[in-house]
Amino acid sequence: MSAEAVIGEPEIAALVRERLPDIPFEASETKTYADLRVAPEHFLALVTGLRDDDELALDLLRNIVALDMEEAGLEAKYHLYSFPHGHAVQVTVAAPIPSCELPSLTDLYPAANWHEREAAEMVGLVFTGHPDPRNLLLEEDLRIHPLRKAHPLQKAEILQGIEDGPPGVEV
Amino acid sequence: MSIWPEEQQVVTAEGDLDTVDMTVNVGPQHPATHGVFRMVLTVDGELVVDCEPYIGYLHRGLEKLSENADYRQAMGWWDRTDYLAGMCCEGAYTMAVEKLAGIEVPERAEYIRVIMMELSRINSHFMFLGAFGADVGSFGTSFVYAWRERERIYDLFEEVAGDRMFPTYFRIGGVTMDLPDNFESRCRWVLGSIRQGLEDFDGLLTGNEVFVERCRGLTPVTPEQAIQWGFTGPMLRATGVPWDIRKAEPYSVYPKIDFEIPVGIQGDVFDRFHVRLAECYQSVRIIEQCLEEMPEGRVLAPKLPKTLRINDGELYMPTEGTKGEYGVYLMAKGGTNPYRAKLRSPSFCNLSALKELVVGSYVADAIIILGSLDIVLGEVDK
Repeated sequence: MSAEAVIGEPEIAALVRERLPDIPFEASETKTYADLRVAPEHFLALVTGLRDDDELALDLLRNIVALDMEEAGLEAKYHLYSFPHGHAVQVTVAAPIPSCELPSLTDLYPAANWHEREAAEMVGLVFTGHPDPRNLLLEEDLRIHPLRKAHPLQKAEILQGIEDGPPGVEV
Repeated sequence: MSIWPEEQQVVTAEGDLDTVDMTVNVGPQHPATHGVFRMVLTVDGELVVDCEPYIGYLHRGLEKLSENADYRQAMGWWDRTDYLAGMCCEGAYTMAVEKLAGIEVPERAEYIRVIMMELSRINSHFMFLGAFGADVGSFGTSFVYAWRERERIYDLFEEVAGDRMFPTYFRIGGVTMDLPDNFESRCRWVLGSIRQGLEDFDGLLTGNEVFVERCRGLTPVTPEQAIQWGFTGPMLRATGVPWDIRKAEPYSVYPKIDFEIPVGIQGDVFDRFHVRLAECYQSVRIIEQCLEEMPEGRVLAPKLPKTLRINDGELYMPTEGTKGEYGVYLMAKGGTNPYRAKLRSPSFCNLSALKELVVGSYVADAIIILGSLDIVLGEVDK
């Protein structure tokens, strides 16, 4: 990938390519916002750039979605918004298999704290550098990941309290 | 001769006594936590030195359930997230599905939806005004003031949808049924009563020196802090940022409607209260315009598929909920169920900064600060 704009890309993606020429990513369009898919090794650099660059200035972290893509592993989607410019973007990053580790954004966006704790317990992502990696919505000692596709809908209650292990380990 | 022997001295806590921090557990069953929310306060005398919030007592697995149900079946659960404003939650979910599936909604249905969503917003803000007044100390009075108008709004919902709190009135593609015959006159009467209720609140609380002194200057938040912590909705507007998704990223028929965004000055507890009070007046304005401009026509899109299947696609749809940005993320991969459904709940994000807001304040103020966040636990815990 190069720093040149790709034809048919969303407007914001072209702006990101112009302002952050060193970071490779794939751009696509969702029904609402542009999606930037980035490799985990470039993820932190991209988000730092998106936040700190004056033309981009995406200063609000609205939401983090954690997904279990089955064979493709775990993914996280970050929704960012810029108050100065009024634009928004979605950043998608696939966590490496099998470690499921992604860098924590709590230093860049303090709002990421609870979102990451939720993502960690629900699908089993591991956020390195998170200051408080405890369960948030689930019981403190529960090590199940209910939003994994393999996790059954009905048997969740039966399984409660039986499993134990470090976060991120599939049970 | 003095009656006090010379060796007797006044003992002060700073000098000679060892003090220990005490842990106070507030909740999960506690009237000040507005639901099943627990916070563990570490206090040094009257000062809060640490605060640890615990949530999840009301976690019902909304997202997992939605992923395992038909797009239309899931709507009932979304009602039950922000249970004070069920119509706003329904609205967010249905609009997200419609956008994903590319379904056009008849204009009359859009107007009806906006009326219902704004009535819900007033309903939720009245709950805040009543409960917040109770937190600050006007126990019974503000609560019953709020209940009078809320009851009338619920009656209106019952006439329209057949249910009060969880109407499930919206449908993908419109609304269930048209408004009843006398709706406009009934609605105008309720709006008049809401205006009166707001005047009453203004007199009871804003006009009360004790209340104002109690709230003014308590935990001021700067716009930078608010954005860092992910505040949205009235919490953000109280700091002076005029950001409302109904204007910033408009949806439904909001672009056609004229209304203002009330903002605060310094983001303290009083501003948070006052922004919500002022928003109710704007909601009344919006509803009045909708009643004026609502066209005739059908209320449900024609030729809706019997079973809704959506091909690959994803979206994040933000809407202005009563507490802030109520966002719905949906991913479709064919089939009748969403592959992933995610709720971005505003209370959850506002609450996550509780520790920063509460530490350093007095215990009695901690209750007011928590009250000023206006959390609803159904939405925090999903």
